[in-house]
Amino acid sequence: MLGLLLLGLWQLAAAEKWPDPVLAKSPVQSWDYLVSAARSGELWSNTRSTMTAVLIAWALAGLAGVAAGLALGLMPRTERVLSPFLDAANAMPRIALAPLLIVALGIGTSAKVALASTLVFFIVVSGARAGVRSTDAEWLRLSMVLGARKTQLFGKVLLPVATPAIFAALRLGLIYSLLGVVGSELYSARDGLGQLIAYNSSTFQMDAVYGILLLLAVIAVVLNQLMGFLERRLLRWQPPADR
Amino acid sequence: MTMTSPDRQVQEQAQEQRPRPAPGTGAAIALSGVTVAYPTQSHEARTVLSGIDLTIPRGEFTALVGRSGCGKTTLLNLIAGLTEPSAGSVTVLGTEPRAARKQLGFMLARDALLPWRTARRNVEYGLELRGVARAKRREIALHWLEAVQLLHAQHQWPWQLSQGMRQRVALARTWALDPAVLLMDEPFAALDVNTRMSAQKKFLELWQAEEHRTVVFVTHDLGEAIALADRVVLLGGGRVLDDVPVEIDRPRDLPMITSDPRYRRLYERLRGQLH
Repeated sequence: MLGLLLLGLWQLAAAEKWPDPVLAKSPVQSWDYLVSAARSGELWSNTRSTMTAVLIAWALAGLAGVAAGLALGLMPRTERVLSPFLDAANAMPRIALAPLLIVALGIGTSAKVALASTLVFFIVVSGARAGVRSTDAEWLRLSMVLGARKTQLFGKVLLPVATPAIFAALRLGLIYSLLGVVGSELYSARDGLGQLIAYNSSTFQMDAVYGILLLLAVIAVVLNQLMGFLERRLLRWQPPADR
Repeated sequence: MTMTSPDRQVQEQAQEQRPRPAPGTGAAIALSGVTVAYPTQSHEARTVLSGIDLTIPRGEFTALVGRSGCGKTTLLNLIAGLTEPSAGSVTVLGTEPRAARKQLGFMLARDALLPWRTARRNVEYGLELRGVARAKRREIALHWLEAVQLLHAQHQWPWQLSQGMRQRVALARTWALDPAVLLMDEPFAALDVNTRMSAQKKFLELWQAEEHRTVVFVTHDLGEAIALADRVVLLGGGRVLDDVPVEIDRPRDLPMITSDPRYRRLYERLRGQLH
């Protein structure tokens, strides 16, 4: 209902040429662009390029983030030493790294993956670290008395405890991966949806820009829903209110 | 473990008189001159237990009572091998506590059920840690879930169970390990009065029905200690203040036990020292 209302407002603004004739493109015009770009293959090749980088960055940084987060959560002394450096790195506006990464890695997939990874990694590190810290001391006490070895404590208590927080971080990380990749493409890239936006925007083809933005929003929603579905399946042991 | 005994048989056996542990069967637990002191920020060690000598024979149900901070949980942790004594020695089943862990059962005030495991898989947990095969684990878990009348709840998650049901699952988890020594840290303290009474009754039924397991039961509730145990050890200021046998016959009728004059005498004696 809200979507239809927004679409109506968009159409109305386009018809009234508001706020500017260059910016005022209707939803129908944007849809027409998407259809023609899909037919020509331009849309798919660029979507594939963006999504490949998103998934690579998410998987690599996610894996590294989980490992680092769990390790930091289990080693509070090391964490105390590393924490200021991690906080400083995390506070840096990552998009500012785009020029550096592009000079270093070129305008291919590597630079996009690298930029997105810097975002995903810190999100997942903090999720995994918080997750492992939420372990109930009584679970550990009981497990130790029942004879659990260290590897068993990790696999049967610490990892399952951290899973909900890791999952929440991975879910957020996936969206941030998309954000990082598109950000890098906007700056400079051989292909990708961000690059397509930059090109169409520089040639004032705003119907194309709106169309791609809409497509990106749809991709983000689908990714989020997919992760939500997986989360509900895997964490079905949680009370409904916590899911 | 009497794996073949169905629940009804367990209950029938519970009605029979439970013989006292035969003398000379040896000590299950022996603490000799045990002191536990923790360093503090002011560099003065805080002594939690001081020169404790305590021998618990095999098959005896011993309750450790005392006010908060008297060292009763520390004593239990010593027996479980979770705390090292600063001085003295602790022996469990003739060996050092960690080596005896495979023969220990442990129950806490909170049920400590793992929320990502169903009731049945929680009962299987200790067996899994000890490397028991999957099929055997399941068979044992189902037997004990039946014994605590929770077979119907085997596939439920802990959040779907009531507090009393959760504690019964914890009881089944403890029993599934067939422990020679049961360490219990205020296991019924978090339950409401009615649920506590039925959990205590179930526990006594199970304990009295089987070969004798040694029980060390920590509680701050004097009444509970006298009602359940063979012997009450009163701790205070890190020392043993009193050590008395409970000479009330078994099986005990828990709701009626408070009117027994022996119960009253013991209760008054211990309470007098607690304050």
